[in-house]
Amino acid sequence: MKKFWSMLSVLLIAAMLLVSCTPKATATPVATEETAKPVTITIWHQWDGAYLTAIQAVFDAYTAAHPNVTIDLTKPDNVSDALKVAIPAGEGPDIIGWANDQIGSQALVGNIVDLGTLGVDQAFLESTYEPAAVAGVVWQGKIWALPESQEGIAIVYNKALASETDFPADPTDFADLLAKAEAFAAANSGKYLICNQGLGNADAYHVAPVYFGHGMPTYIDDAGNSYLNSAEAQAAAEWIVKFHEVAPAETSHEICKTMLVEGNAAAWWTGPWAIADLEAAGIDYGILPMGSPFVGIKSLMISRNAVDRGTAEVALDVIKFFTNAENSKTIALANKTIPANTAALLDADVQAMATVAGFGAALNLGVPMANTPFAGAQWGPVGDMTNAIWTGAQTPADALAAAQAAAEEAIAGMK
Amino acid sequence: MPSPFFFRRRSFSAASLPICASADQFCPAHTQWEVLMVSWSGRRKALTILAFIGPTLLGILALNIYPIIYNVYISFTNRNQYHPNPDCTVFLTSVIEPGCWPMFRSNAGMGQPYVIQEPLFANYDSLIGKLFTGEGVLALVKLALLFAPLIIAGQVNKRLDRQLTRPVSSFWVWIGGLAITVLLAWILNVGGAMKTLEASSDFFIVVFRTLLFVVITVPLNYIFGLILALVLNGDYIKGRTFFRAIMIIPWAASTMFIIMSLIWQFFFREQGTINQILRAFGGEGLAWLANGNYALAAIILVNLWFSFPFCFNIILGALQSIPADQYEAADVDGATYWQQLVNITLPLLRPSVMPAIVLSAIGGGGFQMFGTVWAMTGGGPSQGAGVPGATELVMVYAYKQVFQYNAYAKAGAFAVIIFIFLFIATLYSMRISRITQGAYE
Repeated sequence: MKKFWSMLSVLLIAAMLLVSCTPKATATPVATEETAKPVTITIWHQWDGAYLTAIQAVFDAYTAAHPNVTIDLTKPDNVSDALKVAIPAGEGPDIIGWANDQIGSQALVGNIVDLGTLGVDQAFLESTYEPAAVAGVVWQGKIWALPESQEGIAIVYNKALASETDFPADPTDFADLLAKAEAFAAANSGKYLICNQGLGNADAYHVAPVYFGHGMPTYIDDAGNSYLNSAEAQAAAEWIVKFHEVAPAETSHEICKTMLVEGNAAAWWTGPWAIADLEAAGIDYGILPMGSPFVGIKSLMISRNAVDRGTAEVALDVIKFFTNAENSKTIALANKTIPANTAALLDADVQAMATVAGFGAALNLGVPMANTPFAGAQWGPVGDMTNAIWTGAQTPADALAAAQAAAEEAIAGMK
Repeated sequence: MPSPFFFRRRSFSAASLPICASADQFCPAHTQWEVLMVSWSGRRKALTILAFIGPTLLGILALNIYPIIYNVYISFTNRNQYHPNPDCTVFLTSVIEPGCWPMFRSNAGMGQPYVIQEPLFANYDSLIGKLFTGEGVLALVKLALLFAPLIIAGQVNKRLDRQLTRPVSSFWVWIGGLAITVLLAWILNVGGAMKTLEASSDFFIVVFRTLLFVVITVPLNYIFGLILALVLNGDYIKGRTFFRAIMIIPWAASTMFIIMSLIWQFFFREQGTINQILRAFGGEGLAWLANGNYALAAIILVNLWFSFPFCFNIILGALQSIPADQYEAADVDGATYWQQLVNITLPLLRPSVMPAIVLSAIGGGGFQMFGTVWAMTGGGPSQGAGVPGATELVMVYAYKQVFQYNAYAKAGAFAVIIFIFLFIATLYSMRISRITQGAYE
């Protein structure tokens, strides 16, 4: 009996070994077949909804001209998390479409590559793109991305519900904005003048016009100094407490969009990316500057994986094609964005757009978004601080002091 | 003394070898094997043993031991978003960090490499904060004192149980214990002590909230499951099987808990279902998830919905294993339904339900709760910058440290502390489940 069992186990082990060997034997011919020419370029982006249609058309034009290239557009929920896992595993995208404030931290980790090593030089940048956009993609003397568009947020209002006189004539007069919001809420029960997704949601970006509009220079500057516990921030925080009474308690991109479309809010404090959706919903809108928003540069970076895979040249060609004058103009006209490409911006049709005038005025009042790694330390503390002020979990003074301490601790950890 | 692996050892004399070695002589198969096994020297045997347990051992080393060592090592460094990459010239780093191994070696970014913290326990210090300074210890002692009356009440009850006739029922002893606890809380100003502790340490608030969550959620789930199981175990219910099947739905739905949690989140929104119903009756709801206490209550409620089917099934199975003659005997003795429940059902449920309770308290539905909370509140609402949010349970906190703040080293230190904590809890739970073995004896 023992003989039988030992024989059986030996047989079993032999069978398992054979089974485990089989795929290897068949795998060899498959591997040799894979040396064909087609290149797949994966792009991880943040283009939302109807905004994507015009962009997709540009990539389709590229693939039509280059039949061997396939472009795969993906929108991960959380690009930062996804990159952390995908890039070291070699499964990351070739191109990352992201705001320029991410450049510093992504370059530190080594997720993105210096475009200088791929042949992009400062002269090309300066001759092709707007100066503000060029400044936004250069960090420590190296070029980390090509700029796509400039963006900042302004008040986008529904002309069916409100007119220009419902908003302050002076974009820095927050007391007037509060008074007008109170007047609107009193006149229209259950409705709100403005939905801002930075108020009622931890979102330091959308609340920036309020803080900067009260005179705060920026959240954290390039040298790593934090301005969260300043007299200007205190004034802004007190304004936020009062504004809470006449604004929706809970917000998000979707909630604000729905409120505007369904007529529960007269205006949405948002950026050019929302316009395509509003046009699709048939909203007649106007754009007014208010406060001073963050001015961000939407940009396209090339990942380390593209270099490892040998697709970096193609990827660079794709992003150059995407940001050239002709395509920038097409996208700007379709999506009402403000192109970073100088020739496209100076085009008469682009200049004639209402959004360029409206958002352009907001951008002129804006504060440039830093691309140093220190910029990473502002989002969490400012978002939490504003949310705590909004819900009343902390008094403005306590919230500002705590945020200052948290930001300083984060910056200390970077140095 | 080497003994042949798997075979019974028998003393072997040199004289017996020639007899059995020649083929034409009679030799039992048994003995032939033993002759063969003799050639197994110590080393060969050891190698064979190793070959058999090797794969498992490798698996445990690679999948359990190595990540723990790696995590402990990282917890002593300053690794974060700004010091993301290893310095492979440091010997320990080059051995432990996969990024330094030849097959994974990759070009570093522009960041400074991470180094060992100075002082060594800096991450642990910042987590524990002022918990173990004079003020913190005093507050902890005050909290611990609160449990004293309850422990004493338990001991008093045990003592009274041994007497033939109790002077007071156990219920009143517990009430007395509770009353003294409340009085003690007021005298010691426990509210103030809690505030001190909350301000002094991230670790304390997060663990305290998680324990609070577990202490409420686990008994609630099991009581709810018990009630439903008792109802659906009754013979007089028509269509029992149908209702039992229906009960499984939330459990089955928990595989898509993100969607379900988002639906629940919508219920609790300012413009959500609950407030719309309230408005229909003329009430005025609020943004439930924007208030810390309501948000915690909402999570407990949603977790109840996800978890009660599990408890229900465990208890239903256990109920059916209780012999019917016990109830018949009780009926003959004239015991009421309540007496039968307290004296027969609950004690006999204990052995099979207790391990399940302990496991759910430690596992993903209790101490390690993540998915539902993350989908519903994301750890919020915010209690201010630099402080954990109102529903930031242990796992949510760890996730946020890693994925939002990129504080890998701090998260590592947190994981080590939680590991020690859970290890002790698990050991204790094993003790509890051994105690339960006595129930049927």
